[in-house]
Amino acid sequence: MIHSSENHVKSEISFTVNGEQRVVRASSMERLLDVLRGQLGLTGAKEGCGEGECGSCSVLMNGSLVNSCLVPVLQAEDANIVTIEGLAQEAQLHALQEAFLECGGAQCGICTPGMILAAAHLLSKKPDPTLEEIREGLSGNLCRCTGYVQIFEAVARAVRRAEIASFS
Amino acid sequence: MRSDPRDYELIAPGNLRTVVELLSRSPGEWLPIAGGTDIMVQYAAGKLPSRKLVSVWNLPELRSIEVLPEEIRVGAGSTYTDIREHEVIAREFSMLARAASWTGGIANQNRGTIGGNIVNASPAADSLPALLAYDAQLILVSVRGERRIPYAAFHTGYKEMRLAPDELIKTISLPRKFSGYVCHSRKVGSRNAQAISKVCMAALGRVAVTGPSETIEDARIALGSVAPVPLRLGETERIVNGKIIDESLVRLARKIAIAEIKPIDDIRSTAKYRAAVAGNLVAEFLNLLADTKGMNRVLARWNNAPGDTAEAQILPCCGSKRWAHEMAVRRPFNDEAALILASDETWRNLDEADWIEAFNSHPRIGETKRQGETHNSDAWSRPEQEKVTETGNAAKIALAEGNRAYEEKFGRIFIVCATGKSAPEILEILQRRLRNDAANELQEAAEQQRQITQLRLRKWLQG
Repeated sequence: MIHSSENHVKSEISFTVNGEQRVVRASSMERLLDVLRGQLGLTGAKEGCGEGECGSCSVLMNGSLVNSCLVPVLQAEDANIVTIEGLAQEAQLHALQEAFLECGGAQCGICTPGMILAAAHLLSKKPDPTLEEIREGLSGNLCRCTGYVQIFEAVARAVRRAEIASFS
Repeated sequence: MRSDPRDYELIAPGNLRTVVELLSRSPGEWLPIAGGTDIMVQYAAGKLPSRKLVSVWNLPELRSIEVLPEEIRVGAGSTYTDIREHEVIAREFSMLARAASWTGGIANQNRGTIGGNIVNASPAADSLPALLAYDAQLILVSVRGERRIPYAAFHTGYKEMRLAPDELIKTISLPRKFSGYVCHSRKVGSRNAQAISKVCMAALGRVAVTGPSETIEDARIALGSVAPVPLRLGETERIVNGKIIDESLVRLARKIAIAEIKPIDDIRSTAKYRAAVAGNLVAEFLNLLADTKGMNRVLARWNNAPGDTAEAQILPCCGSKRWAHEMAVRRPFNDEAALILASDETWRNLDEADWIEAFNSHPRIGETKRQGETHNSDAWSRPEQEKVTETGNAAKIALAEGNRAYEEKFGRIFIVCATGKSAPEILEILQRRLRNDAANELQEAAEQQRQITQLRLRKWLQG
């Protein structure tokens, strides 16, 4: 049986985005990426490839890095979502964001939100990663501008700063 | 063309029973979707055959890893991340953990599931050769009950499998019978992450010492991306089992392996290249077995040493006698990764007194004489403190003063993983840690000792 588009029922799906409880009306198979961008106006997550190869749509779902282009929104029900918009505390940028700025870790900007969230996910699991671990942690996020070196430097700089901050 | 979400229906019953009942009511109508890393790609491309989907993502019945005495039961809904981070899998089924780490990138590993990987049935899937080599069994579930079949019998042709329309894979069972085997797995592709393999292999086997010469026992070689299904090289295995590895056997095995596979030309590679690589990988595995370097020589000898000898040999890597004892008890280890994992786990579970014993086996930083009398780790400490000992007098004095202040405050010597760190860097760390409270400082010192032990184990294995 094929459901016709005309009598399709949208459902109410609720989840937390960047600390705020949100309820959206959406088709269950809509991509989380489209709901975030289209309905909630959170355009930080970008659509690159649309098939989980590039990481530019990365968000954190219950603390776990995911490609939001591959998440049907129904599977995000009751989840805790963090997008790049939720990383800074008011006017205070996240240490990773600061470090990306300082190191030239962002150029055209398409990959940057995903890169920073992938780095945040890495640091949540490994607060003191080696360069190899940084490279692996970001290996699902493609960048066509920087050549990656500045990005890895930015993550390493944020790590050093966090270490100093947590002990001072 | 992109799909219109309004043409599709996704439901999420939240428990396995309801899903299985739904599948049985109208077999073939509902397509199970787990983490969506394959299905959502087909959906985006407008190539998804089914309009009705049922979510099996995060079902508690499917997402558990159970360690039993005879087998490990991996829930089909376990993600690659669940698998690569599981300590027993990493230790006993390291090729599966490695394959999980090669799959996609971190985001795909957080969502992709082992069950999904099996039913997606890509001949190039990285984890499937490991399942073949390890003799995995599948437990399938439907309203009719559960049945168990060997994974080797599951895939029957390209994307064809022995799964009834009302069935789901519930569990992947890994028999715990490969301790002491040498394993070798490889992914050959453009890069590890986000690139599908041109050829991948998981192989294990044992070398038995029968008489004066070493012969191969129970070689198990599985390849991906060289046939319509992941392939176990049964002929090649038969040829090599019971034989002494020499050049002519390796040549023959390479030839048989190439004859056994059915590679194709596609966008990623050519049949010719795949055949050459497959032959090389088989030869590489046999050569590893031959010089038993697949198992590190130091490790192989240590695995077979009597208990007290083994304890004495490994003790200088850490300094705690209980750590050394438990490591010896946990033998045999297949490889460095397994050894290090066990070391970390053992170390974290020790008592404070054991930690202190290890700390006291070190010389003060900047000095070369150890504190405790448990054993001699001075030989290890000298190269580790190399950058420190290059230091001038002023810094040496500052370090000595810092050490004294530390010992006064915490009642033991200051432990830091000194490898690669200069005296000023260490001084800075020392001054910061002087401000810790006792509990935090104990944890921090223990973490430093864990890193030191890791480095020493690695060096030790290098012989």
